[in-house]
Amino acid sequence: MKAFSLSLKGLRRDLRAADVRALFVALMLAVAASTMIGFFLDRLDRGLTRQAGQLMGGDLVLEQSDPFTKELRQTLRDAGLTLSQQVDLVSMASRDNAFQPVSLKVVDPAYPLYGQVRVERGDGTETLAHGPDPGSVWVAPRLARLMGFEIGDTLRIGESTFTVSGLVEREPDQSAGFSAFNPRVMMHRDDLPATGLVQPGSRLEYELLAKGPPDAVARVQSRLDRLRDNGVEVRDVREDRPRLGGALDRAQRYLSLSGLAAVLLAGVAVAMATRRYVDRHLDTAALLRCFGASQRQLSTLFSLQLMWLAVAASVAGALLGLAGQAGLLAILTRFLPLELPPPGPLPLLMGVFTALAILVGFAGPMLLRLKCVSALKVLRRELDPMPVSGWVVIGVASLVFGALLWLYSGDFMLSLGLLVGGELALALLWALGHVLLTALLWLVRGAAGDDRHGARHAWRLGARQLARRRQASLGQLLAFSVTFAAMAIIALVRGDLVSAWEAQLPENTPNYFAINIQPDERDGFREIVENASDTRSDLYPIVRGRLVTINDQPAEATVSADQEAPDELRRALNLTWRATLPAGNRIVAGEWFDADAPAGDDRPVPISMEQGLAERLDVSLGDVLGFDIGSEHVSGRVTSLRSLDWESFRPNFFVIFPPGALERFSHSYITSFHLENDRQATIGKLVSRYPSVSLLNVDAILEQVRELLAQVTRAIELVLVFVLLAGVSVLYAALTASRPMRAHEGALLRVFGAGDRMIARIQGAEFALLGIASGLLGALLAEAAALGVYLVWFDLPPRLHWPLWIVLPVGGALLIGGIGHLLTRSVRRQAPMESLRLLGET
Amino acid sequence: MVDDSLNDSKVSILHAAQVSQRVRSGERVLTILDDLALEVHTGESVAILGSSGSGKSTLLGLLAGLDTPSEGEIQLFGESLTALGEDGRARLRAGQVGFVFQNFQLLPTLTALENVLLPQELAPSSDDEQRARTWLSRVGLGERLDHLPKQLSGGEQQRVAVARAFVSHPRLVFADEPTGNLDRATGAHIIDLLFELNREMGTTLVLVTHDHALASRCERCLRLEEGRLQLMDHAEVAS
Repeated sequence: MKAFSLSLKGLRRDLRAADVRALFVALMLAVAASTMIGFFLDRLDRGLTRQAGQLMGGDLVLEQSDPFTKELRQTLRDAGLTLSQQVDLVSMASRDNAFQPVSLKVVDPAYPLYGQVRVERGDGTETLAHGPDPGSVWVAPRLARLMGFEIGDTLRIGESTFTVSGLVEREPDQSAGFSAFNPRVMMHRDDLPATGLVQPGSRLEYELLAKGPPDAVARVQSRLDRLRDNGVEVRDVREDRPRLGGALDRAQRYLSLSGLAAVLLAGVAVAMATRRYVDRHLDTAALLRCFGASQRQLSTLFSLQLMWLAVAASVAGALLGLAGQAGLLAILTRFLPLELPPPGPLPLLMGVFTALAILVGFAGPMLLRLKCVSALKVLRRELDPMPVSGWVVIGVASLVFGALLWLYSGDFMLSLGLLVGGELALALLWALGHVLLTALLWLVRGAAGDDRHGARHAWRLGARQLARRRQASLGQLLAFSVTFAAMAIIALVRGDLVSAWEAQLPENTPNYFAINIQPDERDGFREIVENASDTRSDLYPIVRGRLVTINDQPAEATVSADQEAPDELRRALNLTWRATLPAGNRIVAGEWFDADAPAGDDRPVPISMEQGLAERLDVSLGDVLGFDIGSEHVSGRVTSLRSLDWESFRPNFFVIFPPGALERFSHSYITSFHLENDRQATIGKLVSRYPSVSLLNVDAILEQVRELLAQVTRAIELVLVFVLLAGVSVLYAALTASRPMRAHEGALLRVFGAGDRMIARIQGAEFALLGIASGLLGALLAEAAALGVYLVWFDLPPRLHWPLWIVLPVGGALLIGGIGHLLTRSVRRQAPMESLRLLGET
Repeated sequence: MVDDSLNDSKVSILHAAQVSQRVRSGERVLTILDDLALEVHTGESVAILGSSGSGKSTLLGLLAGLDTPSEGEIQLFGESLTALGEDGRARLRAGQVGFVFQNFQLLPTLTALENVLLPQELAPSSDDEQRARTWLSRVGLGERLDHLPKQLSGGEQQRVAVARAFVSHPRLVFADEPTGNLDRATGAHIIDLLFELNREMGTTLVLVTHDHALASRCERCLRLEEGRLQLMDHAEVAS
């Protein structure tokens, strides 16, 4: 109790000291950055899960060919889930003498569980949270065009006739997206029996959609597992969340990286401020020893004092982080679902934990000095305890930071790698710093000294002071280099991520997919598209085939028992043939087949496989894959593996055969192309001339992805500001720490006759040189770190960032010069006697 | 050689026997204190005189348990300092020993009042602040409670230090060149104050100085020379 109140009292008095304020600010920023990013990622993750639920139609989707039992539905309801049932089937719609296959979706009153349906009702577009009324159907606009009817007309499906009461512009559950080749017809559940479509042998898919919190889904997990074993298709949003693209993954990684950079910077600031704090408290510790305090009392006292500071900083930081994440969310609000789950307590706890960990790691070893103070110091001032070795400080700090890295990234090897790399880089920086300072001293020694009061003289004196105070200068050099490097990496990655995103979806990205183009329609279709579109992909033939054997073993058998067979084994794949490597594909292993090589009848043909699928199926070069196509079996030997960009909005294929291998099978063609908004007449022409071709407009998806990228870009800019602030806090802490020393030097110079301007110039020169040197080392470190981060984390091509080598040294000189000038201004104004006296007392 | 003014009827508060202190300086070993003996009794005031570098401060540090001798035995309040660890010695000092230093040793970020409160905070009681105020008034600084050291003159700072030394009613006060950093007139005021309080509180005072005028105010004066203590007579001190 005594120690509690004493430490609180001490802290209250200490709040006047600059180092304590620097410690507070650094810890607060670290907590703010980590909680802001933690809160945000946590809510984003949960929000995305919910949005994915919307895309799937529910958090849980069960699919089978028979109706679901009442008992199962009750079980799910009892677990706290809201249910909706759907039936999907392909049927034929007719009107007059025209027939058209349609994709029929039969919905109940609970539909849709998530989102709303956008329907054109004749008198305008409405967004509705229900399906069509009994007796009426809603249809895709394409069907109305194909069959030539309007809203209010009738349409016959099975044995019933329906009034078309709306055109569906957007369904909330668009997961069917590309696979729903036939135009949509949506019908009320009550109408289904009368159509007579439900007959023994009809191909119906019953879907049971459920909405509810993850713990409700978890409650029925064992039941779901049993259903899976019985052949029911179970899609769980937690497992099957569609990836909203690598962009968001990278953004999340970027945010995590930024959070860690802010934590690292704050750690460095804490270390710098703690040094000053400890120096300043050596006398207090010695006096307290003199008055009878034990070593334990001293360590308790100072540890508690800093712990209070950390707790206060955590609370302030957490509040700031909470506000920051609200800012991030406000930026992303158009993209994210409206009802985001509230912030959870975990990021807050993580924030406080982070602050305490930083304190222990970055300040702990230095605090031990206070405990070791001899009481005799009150009589002999020079009796300071041995300073803790810089390497011990760095070692302990690195260990703690490594542990934080591990905690945040969940990747032990990555954390270890970064840690070891970081230590090596620090050792290298230390050596380079030595070389730089020696070179500096050598340079100024050579400089002529004829203008004793001019700028050159000031530069020479400044350089000398910097180089001679080697240990202190090296410490600052190291801290500033790491600071500049961390700030630079966050800025670099931001720039490169954004340009990668911009390059990924240029203005003329294909916005239409055309599927089901018959061979005899190919040339005519191509001609129209070529005349109208500025960018288009080739027309790729598609043959549907199932992958059934791998090296003559059943393909399913190659997947280990505890793993679920990849989706690609459960459905037919789109296969194509082609002589050349498609645009945007890259060979990562093996060689592209020689299209002119003669194909032997008895040998498997060479095939090229997508890298990701090969990994999932454990297929490597030389393996022979067998496909069932129609009633025939075709095999191919994998001779190359390809990487490709699934987000390119171009037709992509898992498996490509050489020309001559698949032509005999029934096939159609697929292509994608870009059309400006004002060239939609082309669509009309294509639709009327090739009615069986399915045209999919992906403008909406494209727009959503673009908007997402723009908003994520803005969000990471906000994070960048935080990292830059943390960097400035390091500079402030470090320069605060060195203020008494500079005050002493300034006072001595004044005693020896230097004027205020001269001292300002000398100190300015010293700060500027320190800034330039730190900037150069920082640029080197940033380039090295960026190389690793790009390759390992962001899958971006590494490159040299030459502007860094100018911006960092110049910016460093200005920044350190500016802050240093401000901090030493008051010192320069003091009478030299006072500066010297103050130094004697601290 | 050995202090021969022992009076067995008095209670010993500080006892040193065969104390030597050696330090290594490069290849050489310097002997600062050599087989030194001292006995101080309750309520006594003792001055230790010596020229600069004679080892006065080293001796004071050893007697107060701030350091341990290379050889010999020192007892404070009847307990052997040499047998105690650093923490044990600190505990022994707590609340029982006051200090006045040549360079005042006030903490620059603490006000006068807070500086006086500092030793009491190790064993706080409810009237600490009132006592600290009273003591600051007693040394004539009742109006300067909230001033930081840098806002006080040297003499005022030393008065704060004197108040801090006496605030916990110590049994023993060590003073290390208490006037060393002050001009003669201010120094004289401080000395008056120190002896007045010492008398009033019945404290034992051990004072280290090279100022003969200051030493002559003590009941007993010892000279530290070549590592040993010798009793000085009054004529010798006055010269």
